[in-house]
Amino acid sequence: MNKDGDNFNPPSFENFTVVGGPSQSINNSWINGVRSYSKTYSYFLAPKKRGNFKITQATIEIDGQTFKTLAVNINVTAAVDKPKDPNDPDYIVQQNIHLVAEVSKTNPYLNEAITVVYKLYVSESTGVSNWRELDTPRYNDFWSQNIDIKGIKIQNGTYKGEDYRYVVLRKTVLYPQKTGKLNIEPLTLDITVDVPTNRRDIFGGRLMQSVHRTVAAGNRTINVEPLPETGRPLDFTGAVGEFDFKITTSKNTLKATEAFEATVEVNGNGNLKLFKLPKLSLPSTLEVYEPEHDEKISVNLNGMKGKSSDSYTIVPSYQGKYPIPSVSFSYFDLKSEKYKTINSDEIVIDVTEGPINEGSSTGNSEISNEQIVSSNNQFASFKTQSNFIAVKQSVFFKSSLFWTLLLAPFLVIPIAIIIRRKQDERNSDTVGNRIRKGNKLAKKYLKEAKKTLGNKEQFYNALERALHNYLKAKLNIETSDFSKEKIQQILQDKSAEETAIYQFLELLKNCEMARYSPFSNVEMQQDYDKASNVISLIDRQIK
Amino acid sequence: MNKIVYILTFLFTVSIVAQSDDVFSKGNNLYNDGRFQDAISTYESILGSDIHSAELYFNLANAYYKLNRVAPSIYYYEKALQLSPKDADIKNNLSFAQNMTIDAIVTLPEVGFSKLVNGITNAIAFDDWALLSVTCVILFVILFLIYYFSYTTLKKRLSFVGSFIVLFIAFTSLFFAFKKYAIDKNNNPAIVFAQESDIKTEPNLRSESAFQLHEGTKVQVLDSYNQTWMKIELANGKTGWISTEDIKLLSDI
Repeated sequence: MNKDGDNFNPPSFENFTVVGGPSQSINNSWINGVRSYSKTYSYFLAPKKRGNFKITQATIEIDGQTFKTLAVNINVTAAVDKPKDPNDPDYIVQQNIHLVAEVSKTNPYLNEAITVVYKLYVSESTGVSNWRELDTPRYNDFWSQNIDIKGIKIQNGTYKGEDYRYVVLRKTVLYPQKTGKLNIEPLTLDITVDVPTNRRDIFGGRLMQSVHRTVAAGNRTINVEPLPETGRPLDFTGAVGEFDFKITTSKNTLKATEAFEATVEVNGNGNLKLFKLPKLSLPSTLEVYEPEHDEKISVNLNGMKGKSSDSYTIVPSYQGKYPIPSVSFSYFDLKSEKYKTINSDEIVIDVTEGPINEGSSTGNSEISNEQIVSSNNQFASFKTQSNFIAVKQSVFFKSSLFWTLLLAPFLVIPIAIIIRRKQDERNSDTVGNRIRKGNKLAKKYLKEAKKTLGNKEQFYNALERALHNYLKAKLNIETSDFSKEKIQQILQDKSAEETAIYQFLELLKNCEMARYSPFSNVEMQQDYDKASNVISLIDRQIK
Repeated sequence: MNKIVYILTFLFTVSIVAQSDDVFSKGNNLYNDGRFQDAISTYESILGSDIHSAELYFNLANAYYKLNRVAPSIYYYEKALQLSPKDADIKNNLSFAQNMTIDAIVTLPEVGFSKLVNGITNAIAFDDWALLSVTCVILFVILFLIYYFSYTTLKKRLSFVGSFIVLFIAFTSLFFAFKKYAIDKNNNPAIVFAQESDIKTEPNLRSESAFQLHEGTKVQVLDSYNQTWMKIELANGKTGWISTEDIKLLSDI
């Protein structure tokens, strides 16, 4: 037929994947005047699984006639080992070139420094002329820093007991920031390998062929252990390593309004960049500015090393002493696997000159603008004299004495008023007054007689004298005319009643009689009573 | 019998005071020589015999100040101020000691009428107010009786007006005595002795810490719980619970 056909219908390649194709090729040839024509459709197939498969017929139409191919049976077997062809570039790469990630510690503590070193081992028999990083690993959950490598140095070493040359491609310091299993992503390189070929040059040396191959360091898993809970200090902020801690000040003695610097410094080996320095707590009366942070840290394969410091600029406004209290800094020591705490020394800043702080509040609730009166703004020295008092003082307020003294005076007022009333009443009652007056008078005159009651002679003498004295005082009678008639006369003139006068005279008679006759005590008492009655009676009656 | 006991106690106290004067001057000598720690123990030995004075507390506070010990220094200055509230030296040195404290607490200012009333109330002690009111009551009674018993109009007028003025003063000072007594009863200040103390929102260790206080800060104690926690209030009105170990009450000697 030697003709091109139409309607080519390929078979259905079940159980196969079409890797390439279809590709067509046409071939025309004239040999001895005879033309032959051929057209080829080629497919590249890869079996999907093992087994016997049939590739069915393909059809094509040429000049109205349909041509069919024969079905083909294909037996797919298990993979066949590649022959270890020492000249196969893949095999050479696999056997002679190794990219290795060396991890310094696979079970570090949280925040403990570990290093990852990528080394490319190349055996003596091959050569690597060039490489290019295809995939740079990212270190999630790590704090990482690359250590720059200046120039590639080829070193000799062994890998699995064989001699190799190697280069260090990359060094990284990692600080795990999370506990648990962490993954380090692989580094992938595209390398150009010189592979020996079978061909030889004219001198008999092998010709080398450059082949690109991809190599990767495998995934590495790191198991990060948490820091122990036991014995963790309260002020632990995550520092792990070995540190020294101190607080220094630029000056210890200064004047007010001069500035000085206090520096909080941590130096040593460990995750210096990854924790916060402890804060200074300073007296409130100092003016403190925001601290300036300074780091001098170098990173090498052993981790971070150097110092980290905060410097505070402080200006005291008033004189006095200002303590910078001790600050503690805690870290986890990897060698002893224990927490350690360093306390800084307490520093006292002495401000020698300057104004005194007047804005301090002193008492219970006074406002802070209370002025402190001080003659020379100096710290007052001790007092030389002291008046001691007992600690337990008796309280006057609310004591019974207090209540008595408070309320008793009010009682005085009604009492005084009542007394006053009584007095007024008496003054208004004239008769009563007279009686009281007379009684009082009689008592006055009979005082002496009463004393001698019982002794007859003395008693009657006294009684007589008393009666006479009374009359003398009352009626102005002189002793010379002291006769009974005269007395009677005068008393009658003064309008005294007869009975009274009679009794009075009777008494006088008794007095005289008593001198010569016996009188009993009872009679004496009766006479005394009589006398007192008579005197008061007469006193009332006479005008 | 009671009287004898009283007299004996009095004599005993007098002898203690006489001894203490010697100890006090010995303490002063130590202080002057710069041996502050010895001076402190000497001064404190006086406190053991139940007597005190503003001067003793002042010297004690000075010695602590010289040793840079903030909390006891402020504590004893406050004690001295309680006994002698108007002393300028004590206030002056207290402000020196307060310079050393870390906490800055702004006091809430009082204004208007309450400031006036509180100012008058705090002017003298409640015992003095009580004494004043008793005196005024007695004066009132005397003046009233003069009014009642006198006959001239002028005398009557003067004594009547005078008696009621005095009565008014008596009642006012009685009011102030009660008010001052109440203030003193509620006034229970303490000084923070711990270098740093967490103030909790509840009286237990689990609860959140509301804020922190440092050595030397003066607080008011409002309440206590189980003798291990005390509710405190700052001059700026903040409240919280503090462990009893961290503070020392001014009434604690």
